[in-house]
Amino acid sequence: MATPDHTPLLPGQQQGTPRRIINFIGEQGFIVIFILWALYLSVSTNNFATAQNVFTILRQATIIGIVAIGAHFIILLGDIDLSLASNLTLSGVVMASLMVNQELPPLLAVLCALGLGGLIGLVNGMVITRLKINAIITTLGMLSILEGIAFIITQGKTIFGDAIEAIKFLSRGTLFDAIPLPVIVLFVFYAAAFVVLARTTYGARVFAVGNNSKAAWLSGINVDRIKVLTYVLAGMLAAFGGVMQVARQGTATGGMGSDFLFPVLTAVVLGGASLTGGRGKIVNTLIAAVFLTTITNGMVLLGISIYTQRVVSGAILIIALSLDRLRTVRV
Amino acid sequence: MSFLRIEKIGKAYPGVQALQDVSFEVQAGQVHALVGENGAGKSTLIKILSGAEQPDSGHIWLDNRPYAPHTPKDALAANVATIYQTFNLLPDRTVAYNVLLGKEARGRWGLLDLEAMRTQAREILARLGASHLEPDMPVGRLKVSEKQILEIARALLNRSRLVIMDEPTSALNQTEVDALFQIIARLKAEGVTILYVSHRLDEIFQLADAVTVLRDGRHISTQPIGAVTRDSLIQDMIGRKLTGVFPEKAQPSMTEVLRVENLTSENLLDGVSFSLYQGEVLAVAGLSGSGKTELGKALFGDLPLDRGHIWFQGQPFRPSPTRAIRRGILYLPEDRKSEGVMQELSVRRNIALASLDRVANPFGFLKPAAERDLAAEQIRVLAIKTPHMEQLVLNLSGGNQQKVALAKCLAARPEVLILMEPTQGIDVGVKFEVYQFIAQQAARGRAVLLISSELSEILGLAHRILVMRDGRVAAELQADQADQETILRYALGAGDKSPVS
Repeated sequence: MATPDHTPLLPGQQQGTPRRIINFIGEQGFIVIFILWALYLSVSTNNFATAQNVFTILRQATIIGIVAIGAHFIILLGDIDLSLASNLTLSGVVMASLMVNQELPPLLAVLCALGLGGLIGLVNGMVITRLKINAIITTLGMLSILEGIAFIITQGKTIFGDAIEAIKFLSRGTLFDAIPLPVIVLFVFYAAAFVVLARTTYGARVFAVGNNSKAAWLSGINVDRIKVLTYVLAGMLAAFGGVMQVARQGTATGGMGSDFLFPVLTAVVLGGASLTGGRGKIVNTLIAAVFLTTITNGMVLLGISIYTQRVVSGAILIIALSLDRLRTVRV
Repeated sequence: MSFLRIEKIGKAYPGVQALQDVSFEVQAGQVHALVGENGAGKSTLIKILSGAEQPDSGHIWLDNRPYAPHTPKDALAANVATIYQTFNLLPDRTVAYNVLLGKEARGRWGLLDLEAMRTQAREILARLGASHLEPDMPVGRLKVSEKQILEIARALLNRSRLVIMDEPTSALNQTEVDALFQIIARLKAEGVTILYVSHRLDEIFQLADAVTVLRDGRHISTQPIGAVTRDSLIQDMIGRKLTGVFPEKAQPSMTEVLRVENLTSENLLDGVSFSLYQGEVLAVAGLSGSGKTELGKALFGDLPLDRGHIWFQGQPFRPSPTRAIRRGILYLPEDRKSEGVMQELSVRRNIALASLDRVANPFGFLKPAAERDLAAEQIRVLAIKTPHMEQLVLNLSGGNQQKVALAKCLAARPEVLILMEPTQGIDVGVKFEVYQFIAQQAARGRAVLLISSELSEILGLAHRILVMRDGRVAAELQADQADQETILRYALGAGDKSPVS
């Protein structure tokens, strides 16, 4: 009854052309769907493949994309943060309220929002690392708290006023009268995130903690500090998303972030980051964020109702992840 | 009449022949002791008898019928119960539920008959002389010894005819041990056969009717207890081992690097004190459960301490991995796969992981060339076999993974190396290289704390040896005056109790 000594092959090591195609589709599955979808829209609508519309898509992808950077970092650690979208809401509401009601200078109001976002991340991180409470539970509780506070502040009304005009350039501004400012912001943030992950000791430690937190701790890495720092970073990015959203709408409401929870987490997962941590490419998260926006954009162009859009978005998430399974499950 | 007959049992794991041609018989109604060093094959044999593993070859007869359990359930069905060191109890449920697990009393409409369950539990506990255990007590609050009684109660309820006990006294104090022995006597009086696995020779002479010695997966002897002495048992357990070629030992200096005083941690470490000198290899020997593993963990901060002081180079030192590494105390974990290396990271990153700040600028930006140089140097020094440094560690052999873990320690410029079972589960060739590595590090003035279960490597590498037992330093020996027998004698608690220095 000898056990055969089999060395497991890694994905990508398997031989044969069909296997390779499956691997490619599995790894880059959403990119394949993305391309097919874009081709279809180019053919069936008149205004999809225009520079105007491409910039519109990128502009819309900005906020999802920026908040998704934080979500990506946290998922790399093997944790999850469900409170990012409500952090966006509260930070945006507080900033708008400070500008309109307290007449704070715009820059100061923006800094307050970023500080608040970071503080929320700090609380999340401390509760998770010090009290050892599960990240899902902690951030789910935080989600409810932040949304509640946002509604208390707004009293269910919309905050608007001329003071908000001062930050509208963040959304409406352009470079060389062509490239929208938010698109520049998006790419700069992703370039920075890429450098941080690939080229800093902090990034190396994030990957190490996500890979094996016990081994990371035994290698002298202060695991708790890395986690707290990452929650703070993600909180500040979410708050910046809130700033961008207020700049775009010119108003703030207690419900302004609720549509972001799903696409932000979907972008990271669709981009192939492993929910158990340690594996994920930031570039793929960017592509996935743009892809998700393109889906919505295309469905609007095709005249599909927003309710149907939600069904399609959910289905796409599941289909894309099923393609990933093709790779790992032996067929 | 033999109740259990084991015939030519063999079992191999990848790279290890755990059991080879093991044959012996256990007489009905006796307490039969099974002894041997760590790695002698006792655990594997227990696993086979309890249905957790299947043998590669050989046969077992139980009461003259073939016995080949494929699952623990088969073993229970054949009235064979195994009581492990760790318990299979539900901590949140009561004593009655646990004792009657799977045999709950049913009343009308299939509902549980709680009163009947309480009565049954009380009866069986009374038979074991443990009437003080109330059926409604939650199990989580019981003491270890009481949990063990529940396991035995369960075995009785299953009408077990063979009860296997794996190191049952390792977590008990003397009073509890006495109580357990009374229970064993009762079981024996009821005609139950007991296979009793223990390191403790005292117990064996007190309890057993016969004793079997295993060594290196082979059966050495089975004799009635009257026919053996402590010395003959120890002799059988050690045998004549092949002593490998060990490198020359360089002379250690007199400079103290690490001083440890009175380290105490729950019931795992009990007032451990010693000093470690520059250029010295200090080995820590001891059987499993002696506290030697815990000592290594405690020094690196992987085990909380209740009391005690540590000085590193004359400065007080409070253990934590981060602080330890910053001051040059590096640690090779026992569990290589899950703690020593990061399977899904590259060889390069694994080697640099404990020295990231040294391959980065002050702002935390990595210098890729510096990281590559660091990795390349260690790959060369330790002769790590990898096609390139970007290879993921999971693609390397066990021995080379261990070298990567060592390389990580070495890259961080250690003053003190705490090596936990550094050659466990690696093949002979790499083992020899690891021995060379340890000797070289000591010769360069580094202090090495070698925590090992292999007596031959302890004697071959160490300058001094601490032998641990029951969380204490049982003896401190000079390696040139020690042999395997002396070490084992102290480890078993069979020798002179006053420490020798």
